[in-house]
Amino acid sequence: MADKEATVFILDLGSSMAQSHHGRAESDLDWSMRFVWDKITDVVSANRKTLCVGVVGLRTDETNNKLQDNDGYENISVLQELGPLPMSSLRSLQSSIKPSKTWAGDAISAVVVAVDMIDTFAKKLKYIRRIYLITDGQGAMDADDVEDIAKKMNDSHIQLTVLGVDFDDPEYGFKEEDKPPTKVSRVQKYSIAENEKSLRSLVDACENGTFATMADAVDRLDTPTVKSVKPYKTYDGTLTLGDPEKFPAAMQINVERYFKTHVARPLGASTVVVKSEGAGTQSTETADGDQMEGIEFSGVKQARTYKVNDPDAPGGKRDVEFDSLAKGFEYGRTAVHISESEHNITKLETRKSFTIVGFIPWDKYEMFLNLGETCVTHARKFDEKSEVALSSLVRALLEVESYAIARIVTKDGKDPLLVLLAPHAEPDWECLYDVPLPFAEDIRSYQFPPLDRVITVSGQTLTKHRFLPSDELEKAMSNYVDAMDLSTEPAEYAPIDDSYNPSVHRINNAVKSRAVHPDAPVGPIPEILMRFSSPPQDLIEKVQSRVDSLIETAEVKKVPPKVKGKRRRDAVKPISGLDVDALLGEERKGQISPDNAVPDFKNALEIAASEEALQDAAKQMGAIIRTLVTDSFGDSKYAQAIECLGVMREELVNMDEPKLFNAFMRDLKKNLLSGALGGDRRDFWFKVRWSRLGLIDNELSEPSDVTPDEASEFYKSR
Amino acid sequence: MADRNNEWKKEEDDEADQEIDETSYKAQKDAILLAIEVSESMLTPPPASDSKKADRDSPVQAALKCAYHLMEQRIISNPKDMMGILLFGTEKSKFHDDGSGRGGLGYPHCYLFIDLDVPAADEVRALKTLVEEGEDDDEVLKPTGETVSMSNVLFCANQIFTTKAANFGSRRLFIVTDNDDPHASDKAARSAAAVRAKDLYDLGVTIDLFPITRGDSTFQVDKFYDDIIYQDPVSGEANTTEVRSSKSGDGLSLLNSLISNVNSKQTAKRALFSNLPFEIAPGLRISVKGYNVVHRQTPARTCYIWLDGEKPQIASGETTRIAEDSARTVEKQEIKKAYKFGGEYVYFTPEEQKKLRDFGSPIIRIIGFKPRKALPVWASVKKSTFIFPSEEDYVGSTRVYTALWQKLLRDEKMGIAWCITRANAQPVLAAILPSKEQSDEDCATPYLPSGLWIYPLPFVDDLRDINPPGKLAKSSNELTDQMRTIVRQLQLPKAMYNPTKYPNPSLQWHYRILQALALEEEVPEKAEDATLPKFKAISKRAGGYLEDWSETLEQEATQAQQARAIKRDPEDGLHERPAKRSRAGSEKPSGAGLGMPQLKEAVESGSITKMTVAQLKDVLAAKGLSTSGRKMDLVERVEQWVEENT
Repeated sequence: MADKEATVFILDLGSSMAQSHHGRAESDLDWSMRFVWDKITDVVSANRKTLCVGVVGLRTDETNNKLQDNDGYENISVLQELGPLPMSSLRSLQSSIKPSKTWAGDAISAVVVAVDMIDTFAKKLKYIRRIYLITDGQGAMDADDVEDIAKKMNDSHIQLTVLGVDFDDPEYGFKEEDKPPTKVSRVQKYSIAENEKSLRSLVDACENGTFATMADAVDRLDTPTVKSVKPYKTYDGTLTLGDPEKFPAAMQINVERYFKTHVARPLGASTVVVKSEGAGTQSTETADGDQMEGIEFSGVKQARTYKVNDPDAPGGKRDVEFDSLAKGFEYGRTAVHISESEHNITKLETRKSFTIVGFIPWDKYEMFLNLGETCVTHARKFDEKSEVALSSLVRALLEVESYAIARIVTKDGKDPLLVLLAPHAEPDWECLYDVPLPFAEDIRSYQFPPLDRVITVSGQTLTKHRFLPSDELEKAMSNYVDAMDLSTEPAEYAPIDDSYNPSVHRINNAVKSRAVHPDAPVGPIPEILMRFSSPPQDLIEKVQSRVDSLIETAEVKKVPPKVKGKRRRDAVKPISGLDVDALLGEERKGQISPDNAVPDFKNALEIAASEEALQDAAKQMGAIIRTLVTDSFGDSKYAQAIECLGVMREELVNMDEPKLFNAFMRDLKKNLLSGALGGDRRDFWFKVRWSRLGLIDNELSEPSDVTPDEASEFYKSR
Repeated sequence: MADRNNEWKKEEDDEADQEIDETSYKAQKDAILLAIEVSESMLTPPPASDSKKADRDSPVQAALKCAYHLMEQRIISNPKDMMGILLFGTEKSKFHDDGSGRGGLGYPHCYLFIDLDVPAADEVRALKTLVEEGEDDDEVLKPTGETVSMSNVLFCANQIFTTKAANFGSRRLFIVTDNDDPHASDKAARSAAAVRAKDLYDLGVTIDLFPITRGDSTFQVDKFYDDIIYQDPVSGEANTTEVRSSKSGDGLSLLNSLISNVNSKQTAKRALFSNLPFEIAPGLRISVKGYNVVHRQTPARTCYIWLDGEKPQIASGETTRIAEDSARTVEKQEIKKAYKFGGEYVYFTPEEQKKLRDFGSPIIRIIGFKPRKALPVWASVKKSTFIFPSEEDYVGSTRVYTALWQKLLRDEKMGIAWCITRANAQPVLAAILPSKEQSDEDCATPYLPSGLWIYPLPFVDDLRDINPPGKLAKSSNELTDQMRTIVRQLQLPKAMYNPTKYPNPSLQWHYRILQALALEEEVPEKAEDATLPKFKAISKRAGGYLEDWSETLEQEATQAQQARAIKRDPEDGLHERPAKRSRAGSEKPSGAGLGMPQLKEAVESGSITKMTVAQLKDVLAAKGLSTSGRKMDLVERVEQWVEENT
């Protein structure tokens, strides 16, 4: 559970806010609202009952606040009482934020109203309390009680942030020249500069005050806000070395373990459908608090139906009732039924524990073995003995430059995991980090040829070859890598603390801005999210010569796209280099046997000397595919048919003969849908569609007279 | 329902991780047909020996045991993939009954012992009986006196693959034999075999040879098999890997040697992504393929079984979608994606959705380099992906990749790269880390291929705040020294973590039990668990040092407690001094530190009821008691504990 928060925004809606300044296209109000909407939508998106927001309008035409009976509280209206903010309130709030026709309204009084709202709402409960005052400082204000008000805010632990439109801010480097000259109001004389000064003194008197110019705040909007999550305890118990039950001197330290890293995921989209007519028009939904007007979508549920094989049923399958099914597991293709009473039988019995298996030196571990998120382990709080004990372990590991390997079971019955424990020490802080390690089953033994030598077919080992880098290339690479160092620039470039997850923030931003401006198009990706998508430009400029020489020595050539699907493949030969096609001789003569369709077809194309021979091969293959589909019981021969179809398509693309295939395909589709191939074969057509084995378009193969659009239309039409 | 919903969701998540070859219409499944030659020499056990460790398996027995081992393993690791066993050179013949009545007639001396399919319990049992009990009632393992035509064997394999594993992305024929020249004097038979081998190549079947040799003899592949075997057509790798022969000797039994050779080829090499541009410098691109070499293997999910038929059968599920408002079935085209926001849906058109996920086309782009040391050990979020060069898109990829790999190794550097590994995949920042040559003595990962790895780095969004518990009591040099000795004493074998030595205990147990149930064997009582520490060895090697350490610890702990007690304000009583918190921390006082005296006092004075729920839970958690229930339950539990422990 995160902390409760109560935040009040004071928005200056005075008529002066409708003007625009300093070449900005937006009015001062709209410009300032960029910041406010960002903050408010953060709250809406969190959708938490404990994040409360209130909005006070300053210099409004009306007056509507609890203190309005007192003098000096005119033209201040509460637009939104403190409370959770659902989307519907956001919408009504939006409509009330418009510049007024008045100049009058005291910003400092508005602060008092806000303090009162927070005090009434949050009472003495634990809340993070904040007030944001957004103003251009044009209205008259009475700065006499600043000290008292500040004291009141300090007592309530309220953080005050004043954001002034075009206020001077030396830190940000903004100074407005030619402040509007002193203006004379009907009641009293005041100057804008004086107002700035009053607000600044209010902020200075607050313990938690911030005073900044709006431009600064708006600039910072692009920097994403990182959601902070409360620490999650993943283990609480003892860390042992040796068996404490049998060996009393075994190490036993009381520890707590928390997440150190945990992957943040982008907001997930829900699956919805447009509401159907009649089934819940907008007006009928008002009873439910969560449903509001303007929703035209409805959620989608999943329903599952189950089928089993039944040779007697049409199509070889029939539906079964869910209630008639039992739970179990697959062992190979055998179904192993596990009765309700034994449902835990395949679970390993384990007891909560965290115990060290052994130690390894730092240089005998590679980070790419890490299998996931890191946790941090420290001694249990207020337990001196454990603190000292863990400290000795951490320090010993640091001194010997070793890691520990440990086995952890986070709760009784949970699966055991092996983790790598790494020591970490700061002056006031000692802990162990751990990362999960792979088990034997988690390593796949893929074989790759060696990189630093070439083994020839005859078994010789070469150290000079076009696959191996020359000395020049090695040198050029080395120079380039050294020059592109990111660690010694003024500061480390692209540190973790500065890298924001682009997907998370891109979607967040878009959803937030769509919520406020439903009709605005999706904006471009904020610069800050793409910062690390390419090397720093200034560095590249500096090292361009090394880049050039690397490219030159590397001599990498792109394979032109056409060659990939070349017309005739090179005669494929076994390792010995034997010309197998020559052995074949006239034996097959382009005959395609249904038993050996794929190799025979490939062979027939290879030896085809004439257009007729190609046509004949395609015709034979087509006939085989039809027969496979026609003879298929249910879907028993579909896979074979799809394979033949795929090979036929691929090879005819390679032979630049798309028309042969397309003619066959058109006819096949017709037959499939009309039932001419042994009954209802729509399911085979779905497979063709799903495998994208339809018409060959002229992008894939030039001689085709089918456009990509026509090809995709072919999949859709019935 | 909720439960099943989650499962479905999980599936969708998994989808993102699936290994797909974008261009292929083929099913991403693997089929292995193991062809084992049965001949007099293959059936001859090794010369008798008195040594206990001596090899007693004939090559055929070793091959069948290896097959059994492989089958057990694949049921766990590749539950959807197929396997079959074809014996050739047998007197008997048998082929699968495809209904056409051709039976085994077409393929004399080929005995299809286990048809190509996902293994079933019956087949595992049949193989087990043959292997473990040596029962061969059907006299399957009786060699023929005639010469077996290899072209016939290869065509038999062709037919098995064509019909049983149609359209599989990966089909492999493993040949186990000790005969390097089956048709020494018959040129026509040799040619026929070469032709059938080419057919298999055209069909996309890879042949892997597992030669068996004895004593000093060698297996000469150039006599016959060089005409049969082709270079892997799909890998696009420039270089070749050698054929290793299996033999008994050097303390390794024939079986182990064979298992190790077969295992190295066991997993079909499936690329996670193919021919992805790898931009090493602006204007310098090569192409690489990605492989999931390290991947957490989990037990298969439960399935639903239909018991009312003759045999239990797995029911296949189909999902239909239903609108929540009207309960009508929803067609796929109607489905839209929207984000929940403040209790409503915020909608984007599919084009907009696409735009939101679009961060450019797939690429691995290096943006610079840093020293390896700059990578903190805690910066870990996900598994790494192995990348290997491919010459298919850029000629020269291999040498450039190698140059980079060597440079990173030599100077202990890492690349920092922006990676989008698939269209619309989430971009990540990753470190490009090199793995050492496997034969290198310093290599920490001899069980992994050498090359470059994409190691995903955390974003700042992935970091969690840590609340340091305040000023900690620290260990003295003496105590640290004592612990140092212990650490030195308890190094793992070869001073490295070798995952191959640690099978996943819960995964093994799961399948052990399933196997016992499926084969109707007795359910074992106790699980083997290699991950449990060797307690005896620990006591033996470091027991004395641990005793010394414990003793020093007692003293230092007492000192630390006293030092802290002085600092504590005695008036503070119940309200523990609040622990120092980090920036984002809460101010919730902890109850965990309350000592017995304070608790007792609190119980007696009744002030315990004034403690917050959080404090009570802390107290209970610290004593290892349950923290569930309402406040009154918690208070009661604390009171009970105090009563029992005073």
